[in-house]
Amino acid sequence: MSLRFYTHPIALKHDPGPGHPEAPIRMQMILRAVDDAHDLDIVRQEAPEARRDDLVRVHSAAHVGNVLDQVPRSGLMPIDADTWLNPFTGEAALRSAGAVAAAVDAVVGGPDRRAFVAMRPPGHHAEPGVAMGFCFFNNIAVGAARALEVHGLARVAILDFDVHHGNGTEAIFDSEPRVLYASIHQAPLFPGTGREGDTGVGNVFNTPVRGGTDGPAWRRALEDRILPAIDAFAPDLIMLSAGFDAHAADPLANVRLTEADFGWVTERMVELAERHSNGRIVSTLEGGYDPDALARSVVCHLRALGATT
Amino acid sequence: MSEATEKHAPVGSLSFEDALRELETIVDRLDRGEIALAQSIEAYERGTALRQHCERKLDEARLRVERISRGPDGVETAPLDEDEG
Repeated sequence: MSLRFYTHPIALKHDPGPGHPEAPIRMQMILRAVDDAHDLDIVRQEAPEARRDDLVRVHSAAHVGNVLDQVPRSGLMPIDADTWLNPFTGEAALRSAGAVAAAVDAVVGGPDRRAFVAMRPPGHHAEPGVAMGFCFFNNIAVGAARALEVHGLARVAILDFDVHHGNGTEAIFDSEPRVLYASIHQAPLFPGTGREGDTGVGNVFNTPVRGGTDGPAWRRALEDRILPAIDAFAPDLIMLSAGFDAHAADPLANVRLTEADFGWVTERMVELAERHSNGRIVSTLEGGYDPDALARSVVCHLRALGATT
Repeated sequence: MSEATEKHAPVGSLSFEDALRELETIVDRLDRGEIALAQSIEAYERGTALRQHCERKLDEARLRVERISRGPDGVETAPLDEDEG
């Protein structure tokens, strides 16, 4: 099965500055690893800029304006200690969000049923009115809202396996029963949200795990609560906030996964998508800060998504 | 950038009370989202070291109490609770 692979050269130009972990090398390593994986059957797509009406479904108009107004003509502009803009950040953020919207259009419309968005900056920390945690626009939320409002899907499930809780995605959808948001993340850790008792309107499934959690324990945690919840929800589309910073080599967290664990969770999502969603999965890159482990993990993820000849 | 990157006293030099107090502060700040993403792992690792230090101090205290209760007279002496507070 071929997989739509959305990317754009601007993802190599957004740069939050020297020493920042969310660096262009992440994308360089992913693109090189994908090029070298000759068994991958992918169709490259140019990531388009998000349309304003797609952004304001999940963000305030003021937030969209603020982000774009703060793009510097030269040098760097900080929003907070983590979140910095350079002159290319505006276009990169627009194309990151636009790529997920385009991937949703492609996967819902068919015939391709799988898509991966290889773009940065990431998105899941961006709240309706706040850019934070390396994120400006909430890319996956832009796509999910488009699936609901433009394509008329009844149920969209989002699994966020980034090691950090997706506070932005939860904030956007915690009162939207057409969206199930499930997250497995290390706690305590940034951003401090994602308690198991935070359940939205019965549509939020947070599974915090301790630092040091290994692959078998992480898989059991998913099997205990999150996989049955998604199965029971019977989504029309599955979306993945695919962060790979739960890898043992990652410098920003202490969960101890290998790339095989990312392949495993992807296979479980493929099974659920085949059962409920006509096989439809849109996955988008979030974190992952050891460039080498990130690139290997992405290739495992793409293979498990079925992108092999 | 953030307090998490400030210089701290070596964990091994801290009293149990000081280590516990700093640990509680770190957990509270992580829970409140007051520590930046790029720094939160440093805070977490400092917290882990503080927790291990506190556990070591508690273990040492338990051993001292056991030594007293198995003194040469073979008589039980003061339980841990009486020394607290």
